[in-house]
Amino acid sequence: MARWLWPHFSAFVVTLFLAVSLPPSAAKAQNKTTLEVDAALDLPVVAPLLAAFERAHPEIEVSFQDRSTLEVDERARSASPAPDVVISSAMPWQMARVNDGLAQPLNSDAASEWPSWAKWRNEVFGFTFEPIVTVYRLNLARHMLPPQTHADLHTILNTHQEMLRGRVTTYSPSGSGIGYTLFQQDARYSPRFWDLVAALGAADVQLENSTQKMLEGLTDGRYWVGYNLLGSYAIQWARSHPELIVQIPQDYSLVMMRMAFIHRYAPNPEAARTFMNFLLSADGQQILAGETPLFSVLPDVVGPYTSQRLRDQVGERLYPIPIDASLLAFVDPMRRDVFMNRWRREIRILNP
Amino acid sequence: MIVVKGTLKQRLGAWLLAAFGVLGTFLLIEAYTSAERAADRAYDSLLQAASLTIGEAVQWQGGQPVVEIPAAAFQMLATEQQERVFYTVVDSDGQSVTGNLDAAILETLHHQSSRQSEPVWSFLQYAGASIRVHGRQLKSAGWESVEPLQIWVGHTLSGRESLTQDLFTKALIRFVVMVMLTGLLMLVAIRTALGPVRRLRQLIRQRKADDVSPLNAEVPGELYDMAETLNALFERQREGRNALLRFSADASHQLKTPLAGLQSTSELALQSNQPEDWRQALQTVHDSSERTSRLAGQLLSLSRLRHAEAGSKTQIDLSDLLRKTITEWADRDIAKHHDLGMAALPDAPIYIQGEPWSLHELIGNLIDNALRYTPAGSEITLGLTKQENTVELRIQDNGPGVNPELLDRLHQPFERGGRQDTEGSGLGLAIVNSIVQRHQATLEIHSEPGHGLCVRILFPTLAEET
Repeated sequence: MARWLWPHFSAFVVTLFLAVSLPPSAAKAQNKTTLEVDAALDLPVVAPLLAAFERAHPEIEVSFQDRSTLEVDERARSASPAPDVVISSAMPWQMARVNDGLAQPLNSDAASEWPSWAKWRNEVFGFTFEPIVTVYRLNLARHMLPPQTHADLHTILNTHQEMLRGRVTTYSPSGSGIGYTLFQQDARYSPRFWDLVAALGAADVQLENSTQKMLEGLTDGRYWVGYNLLGSYAIQWARSHPELIVQIPQDYSLVMMRMAFIHRYAPNPEAARTFMNFLLSADGQQILAGETPLFSVLPDVVGPYTSQRLRDQVGERLYPIPIDASLLAFVDPMRRDVFMNRWRREIRILNP
Repeated sequence: MIVVKGTLKQRLGAWLLAAFGVLGTFLLIEAYTSAERAADRAYDSLLQAASLTIGEAVQWQGGQPVVEIPAAAFQMLATEQQERVFYTVVDSDGQSVTGNLDAAILETLHHQSSRQSEPVWSFLQYAGASIRVHGRQLKSAGWESVEPLQIWVGHTLSGRESLTQDLFTKALIRFVVMVMLTGLLMLVAIRTALGPVRRLRQLIRQRKADDVSPLNAEVPGELYDMAETLNALFERQREGRNALLRFSADASHQLKTPLAGLQSTSELALQSNQPEDWRQALQTVHDSSERTSRLAGQLLSLSRLRHAEAGSKTQIDLSDLLRKTITEWADRDIAKHHDLGMAALPDAPIYIQGEPWSLHELIGNLIDNALRYTPAGSEITLGLTKQENTVELRIQDNGPGVNPELLDRLHQPFERGGRQDTEGSGLGLAIVNSIVQRHQATLEIHSEPGHGLCVRILFPTLAEET
């Protein structure tokens, strides 16, 4: 069985020494608890949140390790000492680790008030609300109607096959856990997904392993359309790249949640709980909504990036990937093999 | 002395508590196990459904089983309670085709079941948790292969536990409510059941002090004995009161006769001018008042004996007392015409527990009686014998004796054995009887007409000789 070949999305390990507003506590540095957070989450994106946490809890120093989803999963399984908090966007794998009993429950007010659709067993919590989007270059509109739905994308792939050949990009289901999860979920919702895969194959789709790579290609002009990108990164990127348009699909839009849990064998469970409570608190979510593009899950948080605002814009077409046991089906090795076989078959079916 | 020791409510309450304690333990154990069974049935059916769903997804491709596990199966396994889920599909070689459950553990489990094709249900420890697993064999038909597969599913137990808790709590609440209701009913029942007792108490409290008539009340069967006993007590009181009335009437009568004699004698003397008549009258008055005084003395001692509390008893040598008393009486005028004797006494002293004054009185009365009711020249013999458990004091005369029909009444006051020819008051044996009762002794009177009277008194001996 082929291992996932995830490139290091942001392949650097950084220990945060956030020099923000901590001058008097420098002398007490020796007494600090070091909280080990293993996360598949870009440090620059999440830095405001970590800074706020260290301001609120100067006694805890966060050692934030930004790793690939594969590494995060591997370390959650076998690292010794185990990380305190595990954060990843590879939802099925996070679920599988919790199902294996590697998480410990969090019994706090913040945890019990957390929306039930965004948590499981009070052990793992989806704390971001990131829509999955289609991104296209502005000049695409000169040649065709920009795709607003999945069906639109399918249509333009058929009608403008030659023009778009090699200029369409999406996640590699074999190279990216997020991509694989999204395609599985797409396939669950509509059998016409496979027509889209066939059309993508016919258009010689370029498979990338990260949203970042896809965005760079789109900016370069190598790609004209990107399918199933993480909205959180795309929206932020598009702010400084006006040539790109971010489209939330109008028929249905998947929503990915980053999932966090406290490791069962966390060396600093108390600090880990403090961190998780902050993450789930109104304060933490406020920062997510206001200073990061990750979108807050809580409906009553105010800011540019909130699930509520997204709902107001897109309506009821947001389909968060459910945090429940059905996610485990995606990590079933045989189901994955079956899915990948079908993918390989469908992607070549119009392009022999 | 009435000592209040708890109340009926407390007693019944304690019994109720004990009964419910024992019964309740069994009931609650039963409730818990049946709640567990119900929860297991409910959740086992979910395991079964998940297993069926997975079974439906099995297909054979190129001789290999391919299972595209449906996501719904996991949701069934996880249930509303969000259980951790475990599953595996094992091929005929015992190799896991897919799943997160270790096939090696199941291997042993499967062999334990009696027949290989039987479904397996088991609780086991796995991955740091207690889980319930269900395994069954699936015979699926493929074009190339028909090898049987095993489908194993399992989940953690929190749903079962919370459902069990839920069902058990409901059973517990029902039980507690039942106990409380029963307690309440019991209180009412006690009140109702004690109603007749209260009415009886009221009835007795309202009686006048001298009312000794039988109770006239409706009582339940359980109280009949008590009411009957009360009536018997009243009956005895009535008898005692009647006896007392009879005794005072008799006593007054006995005192009235000599006093009337005194009156008539003195009247006669007052009408006479003869000093000789005066002298004779004075003599009569003297004798009569002496008798009356003796009578009054006897009445006094009888009532003292009957009503005074038994005094402290001491150890007395009865033979010595007997000897002294006889000697004392032998010197009196009244004994001059009788042969007052004593049978041979044992050499050793004979001790009994008794009041010296009353025993002295007893012997005196026996001698006095014998002297008064036998003609002059009769023999009167007193004797004392020690038997195994008793000491027998005996007085025997060879007088005319008493009619056997009267023997039983001889010890009653003013009973003279049918004789009107004596100066005796009829109180002697009554006094003797009272003293005998004070000493827990028994009185036996034998007589054959013409062969005298024999009175025997049997004293209990001391438990330990000194």
